[in-house]
Amino acid sequence: MKFGGIRSIRPEKLRILLAPLAIFLCLLVVVSVAVPQFLHGGGPSIIAQQATPILLIALAQCVVLQVSSIDLSNASMALLCAILSAETLGPLGIASPCLCVGVVTLIGMLNGAVLTFTQIPSFALTLGTLGILQAACLVITGANVVYVTSHLELVSWLFHVQILTLPIAFWLSVLCAVLLWAFIRFTATGQGLMAIGFNERASILSGLPVRRLKITAFGLSGFLAGLAGLSVIAISGAASSYGLGSDLLVPGIAAALAGGTAITGGVCNPINVVFGALFVALIPVGSAAIGVSTQAQSIVYGAVLIVAVAATASRSRTGIIK
Amino acid sequence: MTTAAGQTASGREPGANRPPVLELNGITKSFGPLVAVDNLSLVIGPNEVVGLLGENGAGKSTLLKILTGVHQPDKGSITVNGKKVTLRNPQEANAAGIGIVHQEQSLFTNLSVAENIVMGLSKQGARSTRFGLYRWGQVNRDAAAILARIGSRIDPRTKMSDLSFAHRQMVEIGRTIEIARETTRALDASDADHGTPLVILDEPTSVLERNETEILEREIRKLKDVGSVIFVSHRLEEVLRICDRLVVMRHGRLVADRPVGNITEDELFELMIGQGARSQAPASAKADAPAKAVLTVDSLSRRHTFHDVSFTVFQGRVTAIVGTVGSGREDVCRAIFGAEAFDGGTITVDGAPVRGWSVRKAIAAGIGYLPSERGVESVVGGLSAARNLTLTYPDKARAGALLSPALRNRLANLWFERLDVRPRDIGLELERFSGGNQQKVALAKWLIAGDLKVLILDHPLRGLDPGASAAVNELIREACRGGAAFILLADTLEEALDLGDEILVMRDGCVTARFDMAREHPTSLDLLEKMV
Amino acid sequence: MNEKATEEIGNGGIRRTFAGFGEIGILVLLIVVFSILNPAKFPTVANLNTILNTAAVPTIIGVGATFVVLMGRIDLSVEGIMGAAGLAYVLLSPNSRTSANWGFGAIVVAIALGAGLGVATALLHTRLKVPSFIVSLGMWYVGLGIAAVLFGQEMQPFLSDTDTSVWPTSAPLGISNSYLVALGVAALGFLVERFTRLGRVPYAIGNNEAVALLTGIPVARYCIYAFAIAGACSALAGVIASMSLGAGAANVGVGMVFFTLAAVVIGGTPLSGGKGGVLRTLVGVLVLSTLYNGLILSGVAPSLQSGVSGLVLVTAAIAAGWSQRDRLRIVK
Repeated sequence: MKFGGIRSIRPEKLRILLAPLAIFLCLLVVVSVAVPQFLHGGGPSIIAQQATPILLIALAQCVVLQVSSIDLSNASMALLCAILSAETLGPLGIASPCLCVGVVTLIGMLNGAVLTFTQIPSFALTLGTLGILQAACLVITGANVVYVTSHLELVSWLFHVQILTLPIAFWLSVLCAVLLWAFIRFTATGQGLMAIGFNERASILSGLPVRRLKITAFGLSGFLAGLAGLSVIAISGAASSYGLGSDLLVPGIAAALAGGTAITGGVCNPINVVFGALFVALIPVGSAAIGVSTQAQSIVYGAVLIVAVAATASRSRTGIIK
Repeated sequence: MTTAAGQTASGREPGANRPPVLELNGITKSFGPLVAVDNLSLVIGPNEVVGLLGENGAGKSTLLKILTGVHQPDKGSITVNGKKVTLRNPQEANAAGIGIVHQEQSLFTNLSVAENIVMGLSKQGARSTRFGLYRWGQVNRDAAAILARIGSRIDPRTKMSDLSFAHRQMVEIGRTIEIARETTRALDASDADHGTPLVILDEPTSVLERNETEILEREIRKLKDVGSVIFVSHRLEEVLRICDRLVVMRHGRLVADRPVGNITEDELFELMIGQGARSQAPASAKADAPAKAVLTVDSLSRRHTFHDVSFTVFQGRVTAIVGTVGSGREDVCRAIFGAEAFDGGTITVDGAPVRGWSVRKAIAAGIGYLPSERGVESVVGGLSAARNLTLTYPDKARAGALLSPALRNRLANLWFERLDVRPRDIGLELERFSGGNQQKVALAKWLIAGDLKVLILDHPLRGLDPGASAAVNELIREACRGGAAFILLADTLEEALDLGDEILVMRDGCVTARFDMAREHPTSLDLLEKMV
Repeated sequence: MNEKATEEIGNGGIRRTFAGFGEIGILVLLIVVFSILNPAKFPTVANLNTILNTAAVPTIIGVGATFVVLMGRIDLSVEGIMGAAGLAYVLLSPNSRTSANWGFGAIVVAIALGAGLGVATALLHTRLKVPSFIVSLGMWYVGLGIAAVLFGQEMQPFLSDTDTSVWPTSAPLGISNSYLVALGVAALGFLVERFTRLGRVPYAIGNNEAVALLTGIPVARYCIYAFAIAGACSALAGVIASMSLGAGAANVGVGMVFFTLAAVVIGGTPLSGGKGGVLRTLVGVLVLSTLYNGLILSGVAPSLQSGVSGLVLVTAAIAAGWSQRDRLRIVK
């Protein structure tokens, strides 16, 4: 029964809450069975390492998805941040990561501002931004690989230090997820983001600062993407348009969706996105384990994306889907 | 019930025993406890123009939806041109020979007139688009012929967006008639006396200028030659001019069915409102003490929507605005709230005229707005009731920089008790509550401010059961006693008379009458006269 | 719900005619500007052919994309389909890996593959009620995956017949063969768009889908047609691109998504649909190709191209949607 404040938990809500964890555990079991040395041979540590940038991009995406928009450019922002850090870490030392993350945060906010001011669809705007950023990355690197010249130890410790056999960077990104969760639940801004996603019109008529909130959402997307870029540098010490971190877009969206974020907006549980990211990070290992060739992995990602969207899209809030 | 046989005008051969175009028998339709259409029976003969009248909520729109296949009746039968039919969707209604021209036009603005006509006809196989290939010469010629039949000389190659609203209505009428004709032709291909199409015109003149209305009226008269018409309008003089016969609905029932010849306007009013036509409103209990003016609207205008609207809202008083479709009262309120723009006149709040008005500025100035379309504009369904309650004024549940669930829950429980919201589950998503309970929470959202200056209520009792209605009613009175001012857009005249301290009547964008309830005692009739 | 129709009576014949020729005006302007900047290299027949060669593949893709965009949808799977279809074509033609020689049949199979993937995209979009940009994004990856699987782990398959690899860029009739194919596809597309129900209904759907549904138009079926056409066009483009490359590669279509979408939008078909058409896309592709060509000749790095496309896309989208801005309008 209910006593003021204590809600009854309905069975279907429980199911939605635990689904991402369940999906991840299923795949983990499959992998552990198929690859017996996985659990003890350092498998979890590697998966956690790969999951870190995916998780951060997924968190970035889930904030934007919550307001019923999409950010196709945040993966490129991550790459830009990685490239800029690679270039500047040597000369600028500790100021470099702060500056680079700051730059992409501003780019994210610019996305949000243009979006709210011009009222064009978010996929169109961010597709354009994606193109611009890709070009920027190519030009800055000259299509080469950029290596960090010095001060790499300022960030590489994130993946060398381990807690419970998993890199500290992973735990820090989990911390980000927890902070994001708290932010959404316990601040007026977070409540506003939820409201916009569920019913933007009612939000406007209830006096919410919708423009400001959307800019915040896209700014957060940029910020988290910047952190993802830092993690790329921390892992590999280098950045290029074609190497590590250049292909985070679809895995990021898939991880956000597998973490229960609905593409229709309003619903975003950052803690579940952690499991979504772990699930997506396991896909290469998992699909190899069940016999899918490395070439076919792209197909798996695409399929996972489509299935995840179909599964999490809210049926009740249907209008005309384009 | 009059028969149609003697009533045909020019053209048609009278006498030949043609079945009535439409025969409704005992049609009943309920939505939960609300009976929208109650045991309604009606016969419409060939080449008749029948006017359909009734107040908001009388059941007119439900009846139209049943005729066009959007809803299916719970009981009763529909017979079209002698054949009993079940209409499961608009296409089946078209196939039976019933077409409707809506208030909002259902045309494609980027296509030409001819293409719009042929797009609707293609289902029945327009000759000009056989095998999916467009023969433009034929398309345009066919369209010109269809338009000529209703007396219109619009060039079929014109793009829809280049036409005026009245002309677009003509195209829509032409197309609808043609669809209905095609089907009836197909139905009785062998019979010389083929079935008659039925065209429903739903408030076709509500947005037209005077001269445009005359064009439309001419064409409607010509429509009689080709089919029967159901004409729905709130403009009584028009209805009396154009129609052969009138039917009046009230509370879902048919209360009158008479030829236009032997009915007066007064009788019509009585039929529309019923017993309460002559009863007077209770004397307003408000003292004549001078009250502070909270909001003043001066010559407010918006092109094509409302014109030169002026009134003042006082502390502790309810200003009710009544009007029918197209009166512009909803738009005036939205302009006051900053949700819509206005291009003339001023709004003054607490003595200061507003500049660069927006919703957020209006709320900051102490104005609130409860929209009529709950689901779309007021309720954030996926959020809990408690969060909805604290959506506009989150500071009421804040502890420092963060929101406090404890404060929020306490506040929510308080209001749930006060308003008797059920179930008492403040964490449940608001969309899972019944309409009445949703409305209570939506209203409370504005009241938790405590220092709201003006609250605009747009059809607040729409869709509420009597219990919820009474609760909301009482809440409004209580808030008034506490000094809040209200602008009320009432669903029914009784509501306005009951709660209003001042009543404004609007029609076609202008204020046509003003009643100070402390001094005057208008009846529903008085109001209705100024509304239509 | 509270909207009153306040349409003006026509925006005047002059403005409408100009809107039709605005894009051509931009093209002329670009030609003039670049001719002034590079008088020696730009306004030559050889350069014209270079521009047309660059424009051929995006034009073919653009014709298909136009049908999808007219309905308000979007197809991001272009590059994936190009890769998969291209490889299918190469592997079924005389090549360094297998001894297959299906001749023209190889092209047919490739196009069928593209159309099939397009149909799959449409079905997922309409049945599962998933937005088209997400489904096609997923299908992009699926297409790349199919291409990767076909590529396998062996050496890159090269086309053995050198005549084939020369065919697209050779110009026995004055204009390069690939552009002639593009013109043919565009002409076909135009005829469909202007004279068949298949081509007219997307305009209605893009203009007002709610009314289209009410009038009984089978919107889902038309989605399938449009995406099938788009998939087939992408596949044909992949075949031609593979011919020019002389080999099979999964990334044969890289950059085409931006190019084509930007061209569609700048040509005058807004992403919201309902307006524009195949011929406009044709002009849009020429505008972008000329722009890129001119920029390269002026010394701008080719790697900036996706950036230019992106900028063009955003600017054109903003320009197209500017007049509809409203305080209560919701655009996701």
